[in-house]
Amino acid sequence: MKARFILALFVLAATTPGVAASAELAITVKGPKGEPVADAVVSLIPLDSPAPPPAISAGEVGQQNQEFTTYVTVVQAGSRVLFPNKDTVQHHVYSLSKAKKFELPLYNPGQNESFVFDVPGLITLGCNIHDWMLAYLVVVPTPWFAKTDPAGLATVAAPAGRYRLELWHPRLATLVTQEITLGVSESARRDFTLTLKADKRIRRGGATKTGGYR
Amino acid sequence: MNAVGKSVSLALLLAGQVLAQHRSTAAGWLGNLTMTASGTAGWVENISRTSAEPNRKDAATYELSLAASRHQQLSPSWLLHVGADATVFCVPDYDRTNLFKAGPRLGLQRKFGLGPLAPVLQFDTALTYKSARLAADRGWTAEASLRLVKRFTPDFKVGVSGHWLEHSARSAIFDLQQHSFSLDATWDISERWSLSGSAGRLSGDVVANAAPAVWSQALSGGLGPVVSAYYNSRPWEVTSLYGPGWVSYNVEADVDLWSLAVTYTISGHTTAEFRYGSAFVVNKIGIRYPTDSWGLSLVHRF
Repeated sequence: MKARFILALFVLAATTPGVAASAELAITVKGPKGEPVADAVVSLIPLDSPAPPPAISAGEVGQQNQEFTTYVTVVQAGSRVLFPNKDTVQHHVYSLSKAKKFELPLYNPGQNESFVFDVPGLITLGCNIHDWMLAYLVVVPTPWFAKTDPAGLATVAAPAGRYRLELWHPRLATLVTQEITLGVSESARRDFTLTLKADKRIRRGGATKTGGYR
Repeated sequence: MNAVGKSVSLALLLAGQVLAQHRSTAAGWLGNLTMTASGTAGWVENISRTSAEPNRKDAATYELSLAASRHQQLSPSWLLHVGADATVFCVPDYDRTNLFKAGPRLGLQRKFGLGPLAPVLQFDTALTYKSARLAADRGWTAEASLRLVKRFTPDFKVGVSGHWLEHSARSAIFDLQQHSFSLDATWDISERWSLSGSAGRLSGDVVANAAPAVWSQALSGGLGPVVSAYYNSRPWEVTSLYGPGWVSYNVEADVDLWSLAVTYTISGHTTAEFRYGSAFVVNKIGIRYPTDSWGLSLVHRF
């Protein structure tokens, strides 16, 4: 019995992200003029072994000041994501994406619904009342992912091994992929210069006299 | 008050019922009001709406408006919005035309589908009391409009509207029954600049003004029997709105309307707009009253 318990602890340690991490990948993402690109998602999908199940954690995409609280959110497939309405007004959060279609109509301030996102893919979130509200939920099949900060930097810690690196950004025409091998206790670095499409977000209306769908 | 006025009143009463049923959340409603204030400085050519070109009056105008609005989703596709507006309009050179108006409005919107490209049908009603400096023009205005808006791309949308208005004034000269149709488009050129335009046609009653000498000539047949017969059949009186002895009179007319506006978003709460508008009025017997206006507005959402 004791031996089984020790074995179970060993398996848990080996499959828990972070515990077995022995390599670090630093990513720099820039635009064509060398400007830093924030909100680029990098994920490392293991090629030689299946990714461990998601840790018990939840992502959050709130609504506040008639905007989503985060523009890009990344979670591992199987994670639960909360959608708290932290605003003073109603919202109608929806997704028409293949990876997960859902609607939260009549969504009052204070409500906090959640969904489990099982299927990897890109989920585009909107609000059917406030058309300018836009956010992306990137569901990745791996626990090893990161999002670039305003300086265009991201760091992913992962166990040594072979991976398919995937890089995504809302203004990128196609996913950037490449194979990468991380060595034990190695610090790797990848720099990306992306050609980004024009930002086609709906502009938030300035001051207008009327409420309602805009 | 005719059918339009009664419909507007009924709609507002129904809204009152809905609000009364949700009295426990009334504080929340009040707390979630969106308040906006706007100020406009304008210049109007032929503000007097005069047919005789040498007598036409131009003037600077100033307008200050306050609006409060609140929307509530009734079902996944239906949105109710209620609000109230108050406006002060001043013409320093012709201050007998100054006015204050205020009143509630109520609207329903139906969105056909999800997402920003889904078309929206909007039905609006408003009931406004016009407190004009000229007592004859004081009275209630009832309005109803139906509007369909479709966004074709993230930065371009088009709307078609039908609008009905009835103003019941103390004097028949200022009684108005109008309906109009218009097409408008808005293009968000960049993060801050927008261009919008509209074109439409209004039909119904219009108030025009004439200098005393011209009016006497028109009534006596000096401008022809058709003019005399028509103007003698319409309500008129001396109002001195644009000078001593000037006459205001009511005519049936068609009006070609169009406007062009450039909007600059100063911040998420404040926009500035420069607008040119044209109203080309032709009355039932072919007399023309062209009016052009330019306006610079500042709108702030609190």
